[in-house]
Amino acid sequence: METWKALTPIRRIIKYTLVDEMRHKSFVSILVICAICVFLIRGCYQGSYMVNGQALDAATIVRTLSKVTFHIIATGVMVITALLSMRIFRNERNEGMQSCILSKPIARWQYVIGKIIGLWVLSILFMFILHSIVFLTTSINLKVFMPEYLVASLLCSLNLLFVVIAVLLLSLLMPDIIAFLSVLGIGIVGFMGDGIAAASHSQMAQSIVQQSGTGTQSDLTWWKIVYYLWPKLLGVQQLASTLIEREPFHGLGSLYPLINILFYCLILGVLLFKRFENEDVI
Amino acid sequence: MIELKNVTKRYDSLIAVDDVSFSVKVGECFALLGPNGAGKTTIVKMLLDFTRPTSGDLLLNGIPSTLAESRTSIGYLAENHHIPVNLSGWQYLMRCAELLDLSPSSAIDQCRRIVEMIGMQGREHAKAGTYSKGMVQRFGFGASLLGDPKLLILDEPTGGLDPIGIRELRQLLDSLKGQGMTIFLNSHLLSEVEKICDTAAIINRGKLLVKDAISDIVKGGDTLEDVFVRVVKG
Repeated sequence: METWKALTPIRRIIKYTLVDEMRHKSFVSILVICAICVFLIRGCYQGSYMVNGQALDAATIVRTLSKVTFHIIATGVMVITALLSMRIFRNERNEGMQSCILSKPIARWQYVIGKIIGLWVLSILFMFILHSIVFLTTSINLKVFMPEYLVASLLCSLNLLFVVIAVLLLSLLMPDIIAFLSVLGIGIVGFMGDGIAAASHSQMAQSIVQQSGTGTQSDLTWWKIVYYLWPKLLGVQQLASTLIEREPFHGLGSLYPLINILFYCLILGVLLFKRFENEDVI
Repeated sequence: MIELKNVTKRYDSLIAVDDVSFSVKVGECFALLGPNGAGKTTIVKMLLDFTRPTSGDLLLNGIPSTLAESRTSIGYLAENHHIPVNLSGWQYLMRCAELLDLSPSSAIDQCRRIVEMIGMQGREHAKAGTYSKGMVQRFGFGASLLGDPKLLILDEPTGGLDPIGIRELRQLLDSLKGQGMTIFLNSHLLSEVEKICDTAAIINRGKLLVKDAISDIVKGGDTLEDVFVRVVKG
C-alpha cells in the first residue's frame, strides 16, 4: 500500500513529462523527419549488391542493411535523447512546474525518478517507432520477418537510459549545452575506442605490434583499462545487433557492455539523486 | 503550525537569514515583512524545502520541513508565479489537483469552484500564454487553494494584481481566515497586511527585529507603514 502511494506521484510526473514533450512542435517535427528518412531507406533494399564478384541474395541484403539502419537509428536517437534531456530541468524551473510539484507532498527522489523514466520511455518510443518502420518494411515489402529486430531495439534502450541520466546530472553541474556536448563526447570517444580496438585485432595490426617488441605492451595496459571501463555504448548496440544476425551466444563475456552500462546508470543515478537533493528550487 | 528554531541560511559569505526563531499558531494570519533582500523569500523557500538551512530547524505541523509529509495540506503561491505556456488555466489546476491525489470527480468540482472564486470563468480554457500577469497570479492563487489546505503560504500574492484584484484577494483571505485557515503572508502591501493579519514579524538583513500582534505593533495613531519604516531604519 505504501509502495503504491509512493508510486502514484511518480506515475503522474512520468505522464506529464511525456505529454509536455510530445506537445512540443519541435519533437513532433523531428519524429516525422526521422520517420520519413527511415522510410526512404526502403529503396536501398531493392538494389543488387556484389561482393567479390558474387551477387548477394535478398535475405543477406535485407539483414545487412537492416543492421546498418539499426545502428544509425540507435545512435541518432541517443543524440536526440541528449537534446531532449539537456533542457528538462531548466524548462521546468522557468515554467514554474518544479516549484509547483515540489511544494506538494512529493519527495525530490520521486520527482527525479519521474523525470528519468518519463524521458526514457519517450526516447524508447521514439527509437521503437523508427525501428518498427524498418521491421514493417522488411516484413511487408520484402517478406523477411525479423521479430528479433524489435527485441534488439528494446535491448538498445539501455543506452538511452545512460544518456538521460548522464545529461540530467551534467545539466545540474554545467550549462545545458556543455552537458549535451560532454555526453556526446563520451559517446564519440567510446565509438572511436571500439573502432580502434576492432582494428587492432586485424592481422596487420597484430604483426605491427609484434614487430615493435614487447615494450609497448605494458604502455598499452593503461589504455586497455580505460578502454574497458569507458561506457560501452557501441558494445550494447553490437550485442543487440547480434540478435538481428542470429549469431550464436558467445558466453557471459559478451554481456560485459550491458553490465558496464548498467553499472554507469547506477552510479550516475545515485550522483544525480544526491546532487538534486542539494539543489535549490527557484 | 509553523516553527522556526534558530534558523540561519548562508550563501557563501552572505548571511540571508541570521538565527531567526518564531512560530505561527493554528488559525493565525501571519505576515512576514521586510525590505527587499531582507530574507523573507528565503524563509518561505526553507519552509517548503526549496533550499536547506545552514543551521537550525523548521517544522510544519511538528514535522521537519525536509520531509515531504510536512507539505501535506499546504497551499503555496510563489512570488512571480508561472504557468507553462502550453497549458490552459484549467489544465494547470487539474494537474495541481492530480498531484494532490484528489479523485477525478473531486478535482473537477474543486477546479470549477476555484475558477469561479478567482473570477476566471470563460478564460479557463485559454492557453496560459495569452494570460496577463494578474490572471496567472489568480490561477496560481486558485491552485494554492486546491485540496482545502490547512496552511496557506503566500509569497507576494498581490504581484501583478490590479486594485480590484487586490481587494478581491483581501476579501478571499478574510473569508479563509474566518474558516480557520492558517495564513503565512509575505507582502510589501502594508495597508493590506494591517487589514488582514493578526500578527506580523519584521526582518531586515536576515535578522528578526519584531514579532508581535499587529495591535501591539501599531500604537498611538501610527500606521504599520510608520512602524515598519522606523524599525527598518533603526
